[in-house]
Amino acid sequence: MDAAWHASASRFAQPSAVKVQHLVKRFGSFVAVNDVSFEVAPGEIFGFLGPNGAGKSTTIRMLCGILAPSSGTGTVGGFDICTQQEQIKAHIGYMSQKFSLYQDLTVEENIDFYAGIYGITGQRRARRKHWVMEMAGLAEHRKRPTGVLSAGWKQRLALGCAIIHEPPIVFLDEPTSGVDPISRRRFWDLIYDMAGGGVTVFVTTHYMDEAEYCDRLGLIYRGELIASGTPELLKTTFMKEHVLEIFCDRPEEAMAHIEKLPLVREAALFGKGLHVVAEHSEAAGAAIRELLAREGFRLERLERITPSLEDVFVSLIEAQDRSKHAQAEVER
Amino acid sequence: MGQRIRQMLIKEFIQVFRDPRMRTVIFVIPCLQVIVIGYAVSTDVRNVPTAVYDQDQTSDSRDLIARFTDSGCFQVVAYPQNDEEMHRLIDHGRSSVVLHIRRGFSEELRAGRTPALQVIIDGTDSNTAGVVVNYLARVALGYSDQILVERLGRLGGAAQLPGRVTLRTRAWFNENLESRNYFVPAVIVVVVSVVTLLLTSMAVVREKEIGTMEQIMVSPLTPTEFILGKTAPFALVGYVDVLIVTIVGAFWFEVPIRGSLLLLLVATGCYLMATLGAGLLISTISHTQQQAMMGTFFFFFPAMLLSGFAFPIENMPTVVQWLTYLNPMRYFLIIVRATFLKGVGWDVLWPQILALAVMGGVILRLAVWRLRKSL
Amino acid sequence: MNLRRLRAIARKEFLHVLRDPRSLIMAIVIPMMMLVLFGFALTLDVDNVPLVVWDQSGTHASREFVSRFAGSRYFSLKGSVQSYVELERALDRRHALAGLVIPADFARRVQTGHAVDVQLIVDGSDANTATLAIGYADMLTQTYSQDAALAEANRLGGSPVRRPLDLRPRVWFNSDLESRNYIIPGLIGVIMMVIAALLTSLTVAREWERGTMEQLISTPVKGQELLAGKLIPYFVIGMADVLLGVLMGEFVFRVPLRGSVALLFGVSTLFLIGVLSMGLLISIVTKSQLLASQVAMISTFLPSFVLSGFMFAIANMPRPIQVITYAVPARYFVSMLKSIYLKGVGLEILLGEVALLSVYGLVMVALANVKFKKKLG
Repeated sequence: MDAAWHASASRFAQPSAVKVQHLVKRFGSFVAVNDVSFEVAPGEIFGFLGPNGAGKSTTIRMLCGILAPSSGTGTVGGFDICTQQEQIKAHIGYMSQKFSLYQDLTVEENIDFYAGIYGITGQRRARRKHWVMEMAGLAEHRKRPTGVLSAGWKQRLALGCAIIHEPPIVFLDEPTSGVDPISRRRFWDLIYDMAGGGVTVFVTTHYMDEAEYCDRLGLIYRGELIASGTPELLKTTFMKEHVLEIFCDRPEEAMAHIEKLPLVREAALFGKGLHVVAEHSEAAGAAIRELLAREGFRLERLERITPSLEDVFVSLIEAQDRSKHAQAEVER
Repeated sequence: MGQRIRQMLIKEFIQVFRDPRMRTVIFVIPCLQVIVIGYAVSTDVRNVPTAVYDQDQTSDSRDLIARFTDSGCFQVVAYPQNDEEMHRLIDHGRSSVVLHIRRGFSEELRAGRTPALQVIIDGTDSNTAGVVVNYLARVALGYSDQILVERLGRLGGAAQLPGRVTLRTRAWFNENLESRNYFVPAVIVVVVSVVTLLLTSMAVVREKEIGTMEQIMVSPLTPTEFILGKTAPFALVGYVDVLIVTIVGAFWFEVPIRGSLLLLLVATGCYLMATLGAGLLISTISHTQQQAMMGTFFFFFPAMLLSGFAFPIENMPTVVQWLTYLNPMRYFLIIVRATFLKGVGWDVLWPQILALAVMGGVILRLAVWRLRKSL
Repeated sequence: MNLRRLRAIARKEFLHVLRDPRSLIMAIVIPMMMLVLFGFALTLDVDNVPLVVWDQSGTHASREFVSRFAGSRYFSLKGSVQSYVELERALDRRHALAGLVIPADFARRVQTGHAVDVQLIVDGSDANTATLAIGYADMLTQTYSQDAALAEANRLGGSPVRRPLDLRPRVWFNSDLESRNYIIPGLIGVIMMVIAALLTSLTVAREWERGTMEQLISTPVKGQELLAGKLIPYFVIGMADVLLGVLMGEFVFRVPLRGSVALLFGVSTLFLIGVLSMGLLISIVTKSQLLASQVAMISTFLPSFVLSGFMFAIANMPRPIQVITYAVPARYFVSMLKSIYLKGVGLEILLGEVALLSVYGLVMVALANVKFKKKLG
């Protein structure tokens, strides 16, 4: 990463890059973001994880100063998100969900435009332009209209334009949606590079595997932050149940039987095998072995594994749903 | 298939009419427009600001002046005392007409000669100026007649003067020659055309621009269903607009509706085929909504101007008159006006209706064919 | 205002314009087409009104009377009819717009010095043509009677009897009453109003719809910079259109420009800034291209044609409508254009209208800036 950027990011000495408390956003009667609080340390890669419609984009827009919160407070880079929105915009980079490049402008023209918007001139502009084009791999395509590029290239170009001014904090809203896996990997390499240099990266995504790449995560569901912490923490302490991995023949049929066991919370296909969620792995494991033997399935392997983030998330969501349901019952 | 069409129709209706502002713009505004325009359009010339520069100041000159002011067409606003003042009045646009009587007018008149009445007319609005010249001539002629009768009377009773011919006029269909009755039907046609044309062309291109067009292309929706889904809501809008604007125009201004409403509805249907088809055609050659909007204007302007809505076709160069035969608006305008004012029926209007039906059919067919190809 | 950001925005907007050649061409072609249409094809002057005649008299005298009509440029004799029914049919089918009915005793009455009525029936649907036709017919009839009286009187001998009054009309500024001369200047104004709306009314809405606006509002760019930057390329196109109109007026239609060219362009600049800002305002407030197009149409199209004084004199409108026209910027522009072209007046005379147009421009720019928010929702 650019030495100058590294320096500017390090100069940014705030205790927390992003801090929100009791953030709420209502659209009419619909509550998109409900009492969300978290902190992001400088230089951290913070992932905001959740299904579509959970409130990720709404939150990120409030942090960027382009959407006013209904209530709650927060600061980004030390600037208040309710009263100092223009200062925030000068110090952040934002990559919106739609990539938002001008399709009828060439690659170079798009870069030049954002350079102009962020007031980057002379030597610095030449330097940054070169950097963006190298980073995105678009040096030979500089004169091509952006509209004809494939998604992966557009994505990298959009990132480049968003960070052309070397901001200390970067907000990326679903930056990898609709992009092939190789490009996605490349993209995360870039993010690591930035974070390594001290830039704070706030990313939203609905891809569970990308969550593993983050330093810390926030799990958001239906507008509420249902868990936060490092991936390790989430996998070990947040999930009450255990996960068993089972390899056998005719897994779909087996699943149908296993699901019916009382000790089994949930069973799902996972690759060639099954993941089974149960509160007590010992008892459940034994019950399953017995069931499979009785029904004539050939068991190849059964062992307890560390839950993946996806498992964690699904279980947390279901717990959330269950408690909400119970609450509704009580209220009735 | 019926189910899919229904889905498309519902989606289209929701998309276009969810926004209350759109509903206002499409239904309420045309009514307001008819009302404002109905009041504004008038080719009648009244109360022309006139300056009187009477250098003679005799009872004769005052008599002559009185003839003009009593006619109701001219309203005296200034009495300039010198040439300079007179010039200034016209330059600043304070008077459109100056009646200038030189000294010696009365003398010449009584001596049996022919004194002159100078009139200066501001020609910047030549439409009004032409009418004003005509008014002036008629008032002057009236005055002349009176004097002439006196002069001839002095010849003695020997002569047998020829009898006077007087013109008695009657205006049919629009007895009071209200220009409003001419323009309100025209406004109905123009307003409805614009709304349906623009809506159709923009709505289809919108899908192209947003990218949902691809989605539709891979869906089981057939091209016919798509087209039906796109045009039906706007056909409905067109009909509703014609009805409410007609009702507003008729009641507010008491423009008579003497003809058959059924005929009007049938004609509207044929005409809508043409506008909706044209809208679709424009959408097939546009990639963005900006282009669709420009394209719509590009076709609509000449169509409107050459339709006879304000500029009579009879006064156009022959070549241009031939061109207007290709303009569906021309026929619809004739039908609407005739239905309002003349009260004629199918027997008189069938050529126009036939022309509309044929043109509407052809345009729509062409549009559908082109759209099919791109889907 | 940061000039660097303004330049970046303006440059981008120029690129957008250049990359959409179709719209650019239409922005030039539409005005040209309108100028050609109005210059060559459209007129409110009435000539050659198709006329049918029912000559019940059939005498030398009646034929002479009819020839007055047929020979004038105002009427064009289409044929004769033999009954009211035929006349009605001719009017119904628009074969004629007027019918002249001469009574059977025409010649006898005229010769014996009795007054006689000739009936003129006009199709009133087109009130303008009808009124003008009646006016001409009236004039022709009166002149016929006066001529006959004078001829008879002087035939008898004695001291000559002269026509009592010599009406000398002089038309200033447009002496041959070429409607073209007053329509073209006004037309330039109308075209400008409509083109301006077409150009700018979609631009902001388009960015909102495509999502690029969301990106823009997260940057430090200010609203005023954005709006000013968007205005610039369309202003250039607008002025190009004015220049086109003036050139065509000069070389194609030979409409003389009597006033100052500098004043003409100065006034155009003022007007353009106002209407382009209005277009931007529409785009800002509607945020939807579909809605913006409809709003732009209704707020510029019919008002500029009908309420600007271009076709229908404002002085003839009822008072409440006249008040409404004060809000139509084309009104001031059309009036000023006509004055500059035909009267050759200078700035002193136009000060009032210049002031009003400036107010309009300021209000539009201010409103656009106020309404544009760098926020979602």
